[in-house]
Amino acid sequence: MTANFLPSPLQRNVRNLVLYLGAVAIGLGSAWWVVKKAPWMGSTVQVGAWRANLHAGSQDADMYTRASIAVNALLALDRGETMYFVATRDDMGRTLRSDCNYRVLGTPPKSRWWSITAYAEDMFLFDVARGHHSLNGSTAKLDGNGQFALTVGNTEYTGTHWLATTGGGGLVLTLRLYNPGPELQREPGTLTAPSVVPIGVCE
Amino acid sequence: MGGHAVALLGTAVLVHVLAVWSVPYLIMHVLMDGPDAQAMHMHNRAAFPEPVSAKDRTVVMPSPDLLYSVCVYDLSNGPVRISAALALTSYWSIALYGANSDNFYVVNDRTAAGKPVNLWLVPRQGDTPPGATDDGAQVVVSPSTKGFLLMRVLTGDYEAEKAAVEPARRTLVCNQA
Repeated sequence: MTANFLPSPLQRNVRNLVLYLGAVAIGLGSAWWVVKKAPWMGSTVQVGAWRANLHAGSQDADMYTRASIAVNALLALDRGETMYFVATRDDMGRTLRSDCNYRVLGTPPKSRWWSITAYAEDMFLFDVARGHHSLNGSTAKLDGNGQFALTVGNTEYTGTHWLATTGGGGLVLTLRLYNPGPELQREPGTLTAPSVVPIGVCE
Repeated sequence: MGGHAVALLGTAVLVHVLAVWSVPYLIMHVLMDGPDAQAMHMHNRAAFPEPVSAKDRTVVMPSPDLLYSVCVYDLSNGPVRISAALALTSYWSIALYGANSDNFYVVNDRTAAGKPVNLWLVPRQGDTPPGATDDGAQVVVSPSTKGFLLMRVLTGDYEAEKAAVEPARRTLVCNQA
């Protein structure tokens, strides 16, 4: 007497269904990962802690860049109009956290107007009652060296322009340059990047 | 067995490509036809949302330094007229986005050079009505039948500038011609 190890038609169909559902899941999962978690796969430039996508808002954008911009920076303008530099890590490469505090120091970029805005990891503004959401070319006070400074985090430091955060997730800083100078448009890597340094120890 | 593996790999690749390709269209569809768009009645009509706050959760990375005005244009029944006369010295821009989220047109205070914005938005070259440009209007061809208009007005301090920027942005017109 021999055992029959051949799968029945029903078993084969179920197995095929599972395999194809797996293939669909892999296709969707890899698409989500590329678009949401790996925006650096597009044409980007890194300056200090800040990264810019060179084709944001451009009709020349490839399929991946277009999808990434739609998810992470919908309705962006091209770099002749506005440049967007995004920081998700500090100058040492450590992930920015909304339950830590950082000092951002820099010189006003060569553009008509600029701003630095703090976002939660979902890319929306922090729901905070005190502090500011952004520092901009109108509100920034420059020191004797022509530099601006701000602090960002969950603690207010007296005498600083404070971008308030809340929660324990990620922190995203966006530097916008409106009508950037011609050199910056041609060579975004020439940006003098504001430094992003932790204040104290963040455990 | 080999053919089966190729079919599975092909399925995964096809789903991946379709998903990446369709993401901008799906997001724009939600933006133009979602609940927020319905509530603002901005179909071929300009709408003027309140200044950005933490409660705004429709479009990622909203700028708290900009005052936004919006319109969903639909050219399926003919051209749309867009006009605005913003007598402001600070930065403003009017940007047009196609159904795939591409920014295909932008005018700002500098490129407008002090003149009012006066556009005919058409679905195809040659769809402009006779005499449409007699008053100096510019014809812009949209890459898609439906799309989104976003006007940005810079307000470093909204409360201080409210008296100037609110009347200025409300000059925006976005209507079926």
